[in-house]
Amino acid sequence: MLGEFEYLLLSAAARLGEGAYGAAIRREIEGATRRRCSVGALYTTLDRLEAKGLLRTWMGDPTPQRGGRPKRMVQVTGAGAREAKAFYRAVNRASHGVSWAADRTRGSS
Amino acid sequence: MMGVGWRLLSVLARALEPAERDVVLGDLAESGEGIGAATRDLLGLIVRRQLALWVFWRPWLALFGVSCLAGFSLSRIVFRLNVDLHKHAVGYATSLTAGQEMAFLLCLAGALMVWSWTGGFVLGSLSGRAVWLTWSVFYFVVLDSAWTRFVLTGRILLRTARSHEPLLQTLRFLMGITLPLSIGALLFLFPALFGAFLGVRRRILTVHNASLIASANIALTVLTTWSTGWYEPAHLPARWPGVPWSTRLLPFLLASWPAAYLLACSLSTRSRPKDLTPAPTGARLGQH
Repeated sequence: MLGEFEYLLLSAAARLGEGAYGAAIRREIEGATRRRCSVGALYTTLDRLEAKGLLRTWMGDPTPQRGGRPKRMVQVTGAGAREAKAFYRAVNRASHGVSWAADRTRGSS
Repeated sequence: MMGVGWRLLSVLARALEPAERDVVLGDLAESGEGIGAATRDLLGLIVRRQLALWVFWRPWLALFGVSCLAGFSLSRIVFRLNVDLHKHAVGYATSLTAGQEMAFLLCLAGALMVWSWTGGFVLGSLSGRAVWLTWSVFYFVVLDSAWTRFVLTGRILLRTARSHEPLLQTLRFLMGITLPLSIGALLFLFPALFGAFLGVRRRILTVHNASLIASANIALTVLTTWSTGWYEPAHLPARWPGVPWSTRLLPFLLASWPAAYLLACSLSTRSRPKDLTPAPTGARLGQH
C-alpha cells in the first residue's frame, strides 16, 4: 500500500507525462496540496518508489534556466500505475458515507 | 545563480552524490526560490541522506570499531610516544643504550603512522559520505581519550591554574584538546587523513597492496611489543618485572585490527573485481 506522499508523487508524475522531472513534480504537488513540498521529501520518496519498481528515473538534458544542470526525468511504471489505482480506490471506499466526502460532492456539483 | 549565496549553496551541495548534486541545484535554480529557502531545502535533503547512511552496518562499524576502539588504543600510543619523546629530550636516565632507546622510539612512531593510515583508510572505506562524522569522532578520541582517562582515574593530577589571565588559560586548554599540538598527534593526523581520503575514493585495495599493509602492520606490532618489553623495566624501579607481552600486545592489536579487515575485504572481492561495493544510499540515477 502506498503512502499519501507517494501517491501524490505518482499522480503528479503521471499527469506530467513526458515532462515529469523533479522541479515540475514539486510544482504539481504544491499546486495540488497548497502546501510546501521539500526537496528532501521529494528525492528520498523518488528513490524509494524507484527501488520498489513503481517508477523509473534517468538523467535528462541540461537547460539554460537550470544553470546548465540536468533534470532527473521520471516515468511511472505499470506497477506504479496499478499501485496508485489501488490506493485511489481504497481512499474512495474508505471515504464512502463520511461527511467531508459528501460535502465535497455537493460543493463540486 | 552566480551570487555569493548560490556559490555557498554549491559548496554545501558537495555533501550529496555528484549526480544528485547537479540535479538538485538545477531544481533549486529553476524554482526561483530565495537563497534562504533553497538552503533550507538543501539542508533537509542532506540531513535525510546522512540519516539514511546509518541504516547500514558499515558506518556503525567505522564508528565503534575504528573511531572508538582503534582510536582509544591509538590515543594511548600517541600519549605514550609523547611522554617517551619528552623523556628522551630531557635526557631521562634509563638502563637502555642510546641505540635501543632510538630503536624503540622509531618502532613506536613507525607503528603509529602505519596503524593510523590503515585505520583512516578503513574508516573512509566503511563510512562513505558519513566520513565527516566518523572522522571527527576518530580524531577527538585519539587526541583526547587517553589523557582524559588518566585524569579521571587520578593518574594525572590537574593543578588549579594560578594565572591572572583565565581567558588565556581557557584558550590554551581549548587549543590543547582540539589541535594536534604534539609530535605524536601529528604522526597520527597526517597518515590517518591521507588514509581516509584514499579510503573514501578507492573503498578497497588490491590483494597485493592489502597484503603489504597487513605485513607492515604485523611486523611493526611484533617489533613494538618486543621493544616495549625491554623499555619498560629499564626506566622503571629495579624490582619492576615489566608488563607481560600479552598485555602489551593487546592495545597494539586493537589499533591494528583494521589491517585484518582490509585484507579480508580484498581477498573476498578478488574473485569479483568489478564489485566495488556501492555507496549505501544516494540517488540511483539510471542513464538513458
